[in-house]
Amino acid sequence: MTLVAGLRAAAYGVPFQPVGGVHGSDLAALNGWRKVKDPYGSGEEVYVIPAIRPDVAVIHVNAVDEHGNARVLGSPFWDHPLTRAAKRVLVTAERLVPTATLAAQPELTLVPGFMVEAAAIVPRGAWPGSMHPDYEIDYAAVESYLRDEDGALEAHLNAAPEIV
Amino acid sequence: MKNDWTPFSYIVVNLARQIRPSELAFSGVNSTLPMLACLLAKRAYDFHFTWLNVAGGVEPEPGKVPHSSSDPAIVAGSPAIFANEDFYDLCARGGLDLVFLGCAQVDGRGRTNVSVIGEWRNPKVRLPGGGGAAVMMPTARRVATWRTEHSTRTLVEKLDFVTAAGNLQTVVTPLAVFQKEDGRLALESWNPQVTPDEIVRRTGFKFDANGATPTAPLTARERSALDSLDPAGEFAAEVA
Repeated sequence: MTLVAGLRAAAYGVPFQPVGGVHGSDLAALNGWRKVKDPYGSGEEVYVIPAIRPDVAVIHVNAVDEHGNARVLGSPFWDHPLTRAAKRVLVTAERLVPTATLAAQPELTLVPGFMVEAAAIVPRGAWPGSMHPDYEIDYAAVESYLRDEDGALEAHLNAAPEIV
Repeated sequence: MKNDWTPFSYIVVNLARQIRPSELAFSGVNSTLPMLACLLAKRAYDFHFTWLNVAGGVEPEPGKVPHSSSDPAIVAGSPAIFANEDFYDLCARGGLDLVFLGCAQVDGRGRTNVSVIGEWRNPKVRLPGGGGAAVMMPTARRVATWRTEHSTRTLVEKLDFVTAAGNLQTVVTPLAVFQKEDGRLALESWNPQVTPDEIVRRTGFKFDANGATPTAPLTARERSALDSLDPAGEFAAEVA
């Protein structure tokens, strides 16, 4: 959540972002996070996280149109703050759809096309992870690349279904 | 029948018993046992509570229980998506009653380490990190944690690193349930398969055991809920 505070600072265009909690954690000293006292007089001290502005954000989405409008179904996890914080946004998508499809339910478009620099159509691009509701986690594939043996990772990469 | 707890059933059921009526409870990533505890509480207890999970689920009704507690499959049946930004913010403004947060080590003050074993700059084991624990532990009303290993290296007098501190209330291991009282963890109840003396020997921090009692046995409803959640014993096999 401190990471997201940094992303939010960048998205809001300010140098730092206050965040709840963190009190009592060694992470504050390790990362050099500072506290500020509420300037409005409540007496409360709040940690502030410096802005994190990624050069590029890459997200995988369910559908994209030719303008880069990107639809995300299910939980967006961190896609919203990440795409707003980054200088450039790249998208990979399960499928290309007509703009009219997105326009029928515009609230499902998480990133409008004007923010997207480039998009690629990569079916099963989240494999072996899941892409709700298109496919679930491939647990067997995750377990196979974790095996501590020669060639396990190479075999996994060669099995990638998005490579045709 | 009375003393047939397994490490798996003891942890899941005693985590479930921390949930109170009308509460908002949250389970996160790498938290299979709390995920099962929330599902068990839904099936075994008569009161209502709201379950949120890290995949964005609000009162989901998953037909099958996924292996991973962050699998989008646990959103199935959810009438809303309340995703990461939302549940962290809800916690930060004091809106989560009970949050389940994992740990590698916990100390007698109820602080946790999920960051590193050994020195930060020269670690023996680099751990995955808190995943928001530093923000959630001080802001949630109550936090419960668990360890499948009850030993002096997991329940310690001094943490290698303090990842999170604050409102940790409950620690559940296969042997015991600790509750924080006046800033220190105290033994609330113990698995009747062991003695309080054994718990003292296997715990790295000193604790008060006055008022502790044997843990109440598994009820028939808890047992049948557990069986329905893990019919083939796959989850139980991971807690040996």
